[in-house]
Amino acid sequence: MEYKSSDISSAYLRSRKIPSTACAGCGLGMNHKIVIQAIKELKLAVEDIIWGTSIGCAGRQTFGTWKGDGVAGTHGRIYAIARGLRVVLPPNKELILTVGDGDAFGIGLNHLIHAARSNADMTVIVNDNLGYQSTGGQYGWTTPQGSKTDSSPYGMFEHNLMSEGMDVLHILKGAGATFLARHVSMDGAWAVDTVKKAILNKGFSLVHMTFPCPTNFASKELGSRDPVKIFNWIKNHAAPMGQEKDDTIWVTGIYHDASNSRPEFSRLIHETVEKIRRTGTL
Amino acid sequence: MKRFLETGNFAITEGAILVGCRFFAGYPITPATELAEAMSLRLPQEGGIYLQAEDECAAMHLCIGASLGGYKAMTATSGPGFILYADPYGWALGCECPVVVLNSGRVGPVSGITGAPGQGEFYLMRYPTHGGNFETICLAPNSAQECMAMTVEAFYLSERFRMPVSVLADQLITDGFEDISVPENDAEMKEMGFRVWPRKIHQGPDFYPVTDELDIPPVVLGQNTGALCSDWTPTEEGYDIEEVEAHHKHAYRLIYKVRNNRHIFNHLYEKVHMDDDPDLVVVSYGTPSRVVNTAVKKARSNGLKVGALRLINLWPFPDEHFSLNTKYLVVELNWDGELVREVQRAAPKDSDVHFLGTCGDLPTVPRLTETFEKILKGQPLQRIGWEVEAW
Repeated sequence: MEYKSSDISSAYLRSRKIPSTACAGCGLGMNHKIVIQAIKELKLAVEDIIWGTSIGCAGRQTFGTWKGDGVAGTHGRIYAIARGLRVVLPPNKELILTVGDGDAFGIGLNHLIHAARSNADMTVIVNDNLGYQSTGGQYGWTTPQGSKTDSSPYGMFEHNLMSEGMDVLHILKGAGATFLARHVSMDGAWAVDTVKKAILNKGFSLVHMTFPCPTNFASKELGSRDPVKIFNWIKNHAAPMGQEKDDTIWVTGIYHDASNSRPEFSRLIHETVEKIRRTGTL
Repeated sequence: MKRFLETGNFAITEGAILVGCRFFAGYPITPATELAEAMSLRLPQEGGIYLQAEDECAAMHLCIGASLGGYKAMTATSGPGFILYADPYGWALGCECPVVVLNSGRVGPVSGITGAPGQGEFYLMRYPTHGGNFETICLAPNSAQECMAMTVEAFYLSERFRMPVSVLADQLITDGFEDISVPENDAEMKEMGFRVWPRKIHQGPDFYPVTDELDIPPVVLGQNTGALCSDWTPTEEGYDIEEVEAHHKHAYRLIYKVRNNRHIFNHLYEKVHMDDDPDLVVVSYGTPSRVVNTAVKKARSNGLKVGALRLINLWPFPDEHFSLNTKYLVVELNWDGELVREVQRAAPKDSDVHFLGTCGDLPTVPRLTETFEKILKGQPLQRIGWEVEAW
């Protein structure tokens, strides 16, 4: 199914905020479009969704773009706000969060783990530009090892959450997330399908989606702000699950799908409260 | 009216439930743990939700989420947890999100002494977050019964002012057992002076008007109003913008909606023997005020012209009580002197301001009356061991 960007945009997005103020060549818009297209294909309406964001490039550029209700948290806290909101919202409202890698996997990781643990119904799209780019380009927790950034001028040499067999998605699986996937922004319709599945899971879903940052990441690591170079670099280092090569950094596809397999957080809370209210016991 | 021999934590719980609080999130911390426990027992019985958070920062963010969903929400902690509220407190101030926050003071700094009362957060309650450009409202009860009343009042003010409102108690009040009356109906609540403001829903589009107006319903998400709330400078419609003029307008509202409407809560104080322009005014808040009141009454019976001023509305600071050019003694549960600085600022320039600080334990009546006498005779206050009496 294909849609013209302008049709999607006028149906779901506020004209005041589109186009965004992102840097020239930024790939965030590709991720954003993937999410909006998934919403459109699921035939969800503006009022069906409450949009949450964080800070940094991903949060700042997507906040207030959704025509409906929107909330932005400070660094790493939107998962806790969303969990409080989830438990008092009607169950048919979808919560979609577009956040960045530093927010989700750094400062917010504890809150994110507890959102996964409680299986709170929300879809978290982690838009990964490989570090802290809105602050000028410092390394983050998914920055490929060896990458030169403003805070790793000799190359990023620390262990991180996507190196040496470690994977932040393993942590989230262990914490109880019921849907986990990884994509790069060039995955297009395939990523749209994944995001649709993530939204349909009545529980905690997270899609980790890497996108190109020409301004900061690429200018330091690749020595060029040419968007084509960083687009190709990410594309060449991504491969679908089962087709990995030696130099693959992003193995793409659905990592874990236990959709609707255990009680959702707010449903569990409300059913329990109702039982206690009626009978005085569990 | 039902009577109980119970703790301040019990009183706070019942007060919150009476005014429609149906969401509490907290993190275990002495001496506020029993409040979380009481909420976990009582809220489900009323159809309400208790959540135990992963940390205090999350606890207040969970309350923000619930408040954004239309619930009256509350959290409670002690000093080491309150400091983790700095992040969400700022968010709730900036986004005008009603939440009630209780801080039960213990001895600090850092973990300090868990099971002893302290008043080390006088200024922290005024500046609970970074950045400035806001006013805060803080109420300080001195008994279990008043804990209930001030919790009720905090919910009322947080809805009308559309902001977080804090209650500053201490370990003795929240953990101590006292005689508590709980009203059972609206008439009894009215009789006890309880004010209730229902949660209303803002319909937009001007979510953040540039006025000092009260009674504007808060933003509630999920009502299809197109509400936007963020941690950045908002425009009136809620769009994020980083621009000095817009931020000045926003700050004007955050400061002056409180400053220009203090009459709604500035009756919250207690004066004992203050009608005859006393030669010495003893200023305090919270638990120490109970000893102060006893000492002042005793001193009066001994012929000393002493009066007691107890602040309940701590912030914004009620300067109007300090117009008398006389001697002041400020009694606090800390050794560094916090309230005393504010009294020095508010009192006439040539008035004589003294400080008596204890921490972890209350001052005794004889020690207080002896200090009153010394001050009135113009004798210098001396250091007793490591304790600082002269300020």
